[in-house]
Amino acid sequence: MVLTWTVMGRMTQRDTLPDRTMRHSRRNMLRVGALLTLGGAVPSLTGCDPFNQEPPPPDPLAPMVDEALALAAAYRDAATTHPTLAGRLAPIIEAHSAHAAELARITKAAPPSATPTASTPADPDATLTGLREREQAASESATRACLAAPAGRAALLASIAAARASHLEALQ
Amino acid sequence: MNTPTPGASSAHSAALTAEYAAIWAYGPIGVRLTGPAQEAARDAEATHRRRRDDLVLQLTEAGDSLPADQAGYTLPFPVTDEPSALRLAVEVEERTAGFWQAAVAATSGAERERALAALVDCAVRATQWRRTAGITPLTTPFPGRTA
Repeated sequence: MVLTWTVMGRMTQRDTLPDRTMRHSRRNMLRVGALLTLGGAVPSLTGCDPFNQEPPPPDPLAPMVDEALALAAAYRDAATTHPTLAGRLAPIIEAHSAHAAELARITKAAPPSATPTASTPADPDATLTGLREREQAASESATRACLAAPAGRAALLASIAAARASHLEALQ
Repeated sequence: MNTPTPGASSAHSAALTAEYAAIWAYGPIGVRLTGPAQEAARDAEATHRRRRDDLVLQLTEAGDSLPADQAGYTLPFPVTDEPSALRLAVEVEERTAGFWQAAVAATSGAERERALAALVDCAVRATQWRRTAGITPLTTPFPGRTA
């Protein structure tokens, strides 16, 4: 913030100077800048075939960000539909949201454009059964991801798998 | 057999010290509990003993030196009644989980699978103990993570 203000202040000061040479040289500098930008872009266009370019492989953990966000959304919807369950579900919502944030951080995934939607059954027991099934599947997916992950990511994924297993226990 | 990952033996050695301490702690825990809670403590202790035995075997087979078990361990707080025994049980599982989480990162293949299973077991038991103790929330967002 401070830096931005300083730069803007300098520019304003320069613009008010009556010296034509100064203004001229500034315009030239802008032109040079534009040329440099163009010049920089040329080799990258001619250097490789854009039709033959392999896109970077997607991060294998990217779907897990969506999975964690969808879980958080499902629990949030369940808590809204059944206020009697809200207290029990609140820490689990918090955990899934925290997992999504950590996974997004390590995968450098862009934030999702839309909030996942969820539909909660009218019956609280059916709701809990549905959440347990989702949690079981999510625990298994985190386990698979942990076993396939490089060392640097394995600890986080292990913790997420363990958290999901403990959610399953908390929902018993 | 998997190729041993560098750091696996020190992670296993550290996990073994945690299992020694957990087994020891379930002694004072068990005597303060009754009924199903005492049964759960016996079951937890048996699980920690099984993991200790597996680790001893694994480290011995790999030719690594075994850390020494101690005659006694300092408890984080005095265990004088059922509530303090249950609190300690939660703490034992949480602390042990941290060592297994570290072992997950230091291993691969079947060894990692076993470390992960241990971490999951600790997290689930910690949740069960919190429920028995009436501690909420029942879960933590990142089991095994310290600080």
